[in-house]
This record gives sequence, structure tokens and C-alpha cells, in this order.
Amino acid sequence: MDEIIWVEVLSKHRDVVARYRCSGPEIHIGRGYDNDVVVDDPYVAPVHICVARDERGALVATDLGSANGLFSDKDVARMERIAIEDDDVVRIGRTYLRIREAKHAVAPERILKPSHTRSWITVFYLTMTLLGMSAISAWFGETIEPKLSHYIFPMLATAFITLVWTALWAILSRVFSSHANFEANLLIALKGFLLFSLCDVLVDYVAFSFSLGALFTYEYVAAWLLFAAICFFHLRAIGLSRLRLKGGAVAVLAVIAIATQTLVQSENNSSKYQQSYVRRLKPPAFRLVPQKSEPAFFSSVEELKAKLDKARTDEPISDGIFGGSDSDD
Amino acid sequence: MQKILALMMLAICIGSANAENVPQSPSLPTQPPLSPTAENIYAEARPKLLQIRTLLDVAGRQSSLGSGFLVSADGLAVTNYHVVSQHALDPKTYRLEYLTTNGSHGALTLLAIDVINDLAVVRLDKPDQSVFEFNKRALDGGLSKGERVYSMGNPLDLGFTIVEGTYNGLVEKSFNERIHFSGAINAGMSGGPAVTSDGRIVGINVAKQVSGELVSFLVPAHFAAALVERAKSTKPLVLANVRTDIGRQLGTWQDGFYKAIADQGFRLATFGPYKAPESNAAWLNCWAETNADQVPKPRATVDVTNCHTDTWFFIANDLNTGPIDFSHSYVKSVDLNQFQFATFLSQRYQLPWLGSASSKRYTRQRCHEDFVAAADSNTRPPVHTVWCARAYREFEGLYDVSLLVVTQDRSNEALVSRLGMRGVSYSSAVALATRFLGAIQWTK
Repeated sequence: MDEIIWVEVLSKHRDVVARYRCSGPEIHIGRGYDNDVVVDDPYVAPVHICVARDERGALVATDLGSANGLFSDKDVARMERIAIEDDDVVRIGRTYLRIREAKHAVAPERILKPSHTRSWITVFYLTMTLLGMSAISAWFGETIEPKLSHYIFPMLATAFITLVWTALWAILSRVFSSHANFEANLLIALKGFLLFSLCDVLVDYVAFSFSLGALFTYEYVAAWLLFAAICFFHLRAIGLSRLRLKGGAVAVLAVIAIATQTLVQSENNSSKYQQSYVRRLKPPAFRLVPQKSEPAFFSSVEELKAKLDKARTDEPISDGIFGGSDSDD
Repeated sequence: MQKILALMMLAICIGSANAENVPQSPSLPTQPPLSPTAENIYAEARPKLLQIRTLLDVAGRQSSLGSGFLVSADGLAVTNYHVVSQHALDPKTYRLEYLTTNGSHGALTLLAIDVINDLAVVRLDKPDQSVFEFNKRALDGGLSKGERVYSMGNPLDLGFTIVEGTYNGLVEKSFNERIHFSGAINAGMSGGPAVTSDGRIVGINVAKQVSGELVSFLVPAHFAAALVERAKSTKPLVLANVRTDIGRQLGTWQDGFYKAIADQGFRLATFGPYKAPESNAAWLNCWAETNADQVPKPRATVDVTNCHTDTWFFIANDLNTGPIDFSHSYVKSVDLNQFQFATFLSQRYQLPWLGSASSKRYTRQRCHEDFVAAADSNTRPPVHTVWCARAYREFEGLYDVSLLVVTQDRSNEALVSRLGMRGVSYSSAVALATRFLGAIQWTK
């Protein structure tokens, strides 16, 4: 019986490095040239394994007496024989192999994304929006003599940062997946940065409209989450494999960043971190929260007193080398 | 603004570790010979003068230096509180020592302090017969401007010195009494005596104005006389309770101060369509500023009035408290749109500066903010208001409070008012802030 069996040599990341078309019923794999598949791995024996069908017709890999043995990807124990199933990966020496029959079912054909030009149009619109936002924010912030450079510089900076960021991911993508994917990465970067600016503006206006100065204190949480999301989408553009791992790693990094910043803020007593009030005023028309009466305002103010009195003894003393030495009151 | 800051900078005349670094040049500029009076006064005063040193207990080395003088035969001496503050607040780390003009030295015990007038009474480890007497006329406030006054002390650890100067009455526009002495007081002379030509005390060296020339300040003698009496008649200060004592002194003082401000009342100053309160009290220093002369022409005009009191109290190097300040900035757009105007306004919407934020001394600052509408909207504009406060860790019932107000009735002009209060009780702060906020008015 002359059947076709494919032996695939995989990289550490389980990408196919080489693929050998072999004819059964028995395939020998090893470093020697008398094998059907020759593996250039010094940790592989001249004749390492043999793949053949057992009495029930299933493919089985058998160790032919190698020193380093045969391993299944699912197990750490050395095996004498491994019954090959569809997606199983076996390891000999430092080489990963996947053995598939010709009848192996492949995933259905993926639909090609809409034509190139259309996504460049999206890129164009997103770029314009991003630059437009930067120009508007420069315009609203311009309280001195108007100058063209006040607009050009922020716009150029935005464009430059976006391009550098995209290029960085394109290089990573090229290294790990052989595609630079510049266009996809650019789209992700543009969308991400647009969200960043939107978030900033939104926090600004919501803080004013609802008189919630404390919002600024926590703006960094949103910023880090957004940053993590952007990184995740870039990683996803590199390859669809191991999405959970990528998501997990990005989430862990975001959590670490947020936790660290929270810690720094909670321990830092400097005025930079403690004066949380609406410092960026907006036109009065943007007020959304009802006005309080004066007595109501001062009664809220009175409530602060109890918190301050509690903090006198509870709050840790954190700054200064000698902080904490003085507590004889 | 710089002008004001410079004026606020009263240097307290205490020698610090830095003073030791002053090179002891052998060729100091030769002074013109002192008058025979000064010679006689110094000869007379010499045995009664002290250098007061704060030593780091472990090292036995001086950490700061000041001066002092004997006032009673049982070994009581007067100096400044700021000369002994390190020992008062941290007796485990710092101890006090005196050094006489003939080189003998010994330990000092702190008996009483008056942080409001920056005075302290200490006891020497041995009695001394030669002591200063207070000038009767000075105690009664009977000195006349231009009278010769001689200040003594040990400036920069260079040796005991006598300085001739003139009495120039009490400092005007000052809530707390201070004598204006035109003479050179330098770091290290703090706590030293200033005497008339009969060698009797008129005041105690305390500070000089860094931005001035020979503008120095003395604590009037009657405060020292009163503190000496208190030290004699009451039990000596228990250092473990020194913070309670300081807190009480500050509390009592601020009660009187805030009552005086309330009693003096406010008048309304006009800022465009707004009216804002200004105190009638004479001891507020007020300055005005404008950006009208700015080049290029400003896109929004700003007219600022700001007022402050000079009632600073030194408690520790990183803890100064006392004064009130407030300001009104009237901002009007020239050609800014309402968003740009809001940005411009934000630059002015800053809390008043309250001093260092040492977490050893203060709690974290907590704020409350709201849009506030007055009950009578015909006379009072809607505002956005921020109230921030922090408590003094060491002094119960004292807080630093700032109030920030911006009017919210127009999108092209506004009034930003700020009020800063240091070392105030919460109720006094609320009372003054209520009055302050209530006085901000508009004409529609």
C-alpha cells in the first residue's frame, strides 16, 4: 500500500519549518542519510524513530533505541511508542515533529479582506481625524499670540509618534511572523491613539461637567488599559496563535503598571498627587451637574474635617528619610 | 508677585550648620571705632551674654547657634524660640548648651516658650549674679523714634558683637508687635538682647529682612518680661507635652486673629461686573498687578489684587504657619473664544500656596469641589468652588485651608478669588470662607 504521509518539522513556536512528503507504510526519521526524513539536530540519533501503522491502522511512532528518546508534546515522560493523533506534536532531541496523513482535514478557505485601497482610505480618514483633534486641542489651548508653529508641532509630533510606534510593531511582526503587516499595525496604532485622545478629552469634559476633579487622579487606569489593549491588538496582528497567552501577558503588565502607579500615588505626599480638583476649566455652558446651595457646599466641607482628623493619626508618614521617627503626640 | 515674595522673606536670624562654613577671614573689614557708649555698654553686658547652641546629642557637635541673655539671678535666660526649637520638638536628638563670653559652658533647661512672639526662657545649670534689666520706658512703649539701640549677640559664630542702630517704633501694618530696628542683625544673633544706652533691654533680636538693608526686627521687651514671669510662677514646660502647648498657643492666637479680621469687616472692591471682598484691616499688605502692559498685547486682560498678612510663625524648619492671604483676579477676554478663555482661566485657577507639604507635619490634603449657586442670584453669581484642607499632625484642631472660587456666569470674563489660611481652626476657616464667598457679587 502506497500512501502519503506528511512529516512536518516545527519551530519552537510550532510554526512549520520544513515539510516532507513520505510514502508509507513505514517512515524512518533520524540524522542519518538512510532515513526518509533527515533531521539536522545533533541531539537526534542516526536512526531515531520509525512511524508505521499498527494492527488497527493507526499511525504509531516508535523509538528505535535512541539515547535521547521520544516524547509527546503533552507529556514530560519518555515514551517507547506514541499513537499519533491529528494535531499531536512529538519531540526527538530538540526537534518538534508533526505527522499528518494526506486525508487530514484543513480549515475552510479564509475570505480575503476587502481590497487594499479601501483600507488605505480608512487610514487616511483616521489620520486626518487624529491630526484634526491635535489641531483643535492646540487651538483651544492657544491663549497667547496665534502662531502656525503652535499647530504644526503637535501635529508633527502626533504623526511622528504614530509612525515610530507602527514601525516598531511592523519590525516585531516581521521578525516573528515574516510579515511586516505595516498597514494593519498602522490601523491599530491610529485607532488606539485616537481613543487615547478621545479618552483624554472625555475625562477633561466629564470632570468639569460633573465637578469631579478626582477623575484626573484615576485617568491613568484608563490610559494603561487602553495601552494594554493596543499592545494586544498589535500582538494579535503578528499572529493568531496563543491569543490567550498574549492577552494574559498584556493584562498582567497592565495590572502591574496600574498597581505600581497606584502605590506611588498613595505613598507620595507631594502636591502633584494631592490637589485633585478640576484644574482645566471649560466654558460654563458645559456644566451638567446641578448647582449646590452654599449651605450644602459648606456642610460637605464640614464632612472633610472628620476625615482629616482621622488621617492625623491613621495616615502613614511616608516622605523624608527620617519620616516616622516623630510620633510622640 | 516676585516683589511680594521677596518682602515676605524674613530671614530668621539663626546660625545653622552652614554658618560654620563661613571662612573665618583674618582680615575682616575694619569697623569704625564704636562710640564710648557702645564700649561701656558692651563692657557692662559682657558677663550677661550667652551663646546658645543646639547640639546633636549623639555627635556632641553644634547643629544650630543663637544668642541669649541672663535676666534673673537664679539663672534664667531669654532667647528666641527658634533658637531652641530643635531641642523643644526633639529632645532625644538635640540638647542645649550655653557658652559665656569667658568661655565657660554648661547645660540649659527649657522652661517656657512663646511661639507667637518667638521667645523662650531657659535655665542655666548655675545661678549668675549679673543680669540684664528691662527698660521701663520700653515696657510702657515710651521709646521715641531715632533713639540709639545696641544689639548684641554672636553673629555667624565669629564672636560676641555689639551693633549700634536706631529704634524705629513698631512695624506698621503688622498684627503682631515687632520693633523695627535699623541695624545689622545677622544669623547667630537671634535671641540676643537689644538695649538702650543705659544698658536696659528694649527688645530681643529676632529677624532681618533679606530684601532690605539694615532692616531688622526685635521682639518688644514686654513679651519677654511676661514670659519670664510665667516661667517663674508656673511649673516648667514638660517637653513631652510641648506640642500640646504650641498647639494651644497657636489656637489662642488664631482665635483672636480671625476675630479681629471679622471685626474689622470687609469692603467691596469692584472688578468689572463683579464685586469682591477686601479686608479693612490695616495689617494686610495688598498689591495690584496687571498684564495690560504686556507685549505682545495679551489676548485676555488680567487685573489682580492680592493681600497677605506677615503673621508667620516659625515652629520648625519645615513648619511655618500663621498668615492669611487672598487674591482676586479679574480676567476678561480680548479676542479669545470661550474654549481658549477657559484654558486661560485655568492657568489662574490654582490653589494658594500653603508652604511645604512634609508628610511628617501635615496630613494629605483633601478637597471638595462643587458648582455653587447663591440663594440670591440677583446679586450673587454662580461659581465653581474648591475647598482644600490638610490637618496638622502635631497640633490637634489646626488646619491649613484654601478656598478657590471662579465665577461661572459668563464665558468671556470671570473673577477668580483665592483665600489661603494657615494654622486655623476648622470653624474659623469655615466662617471666614463663608463670609468671603458670600461677599462675591455681580451686576447682571
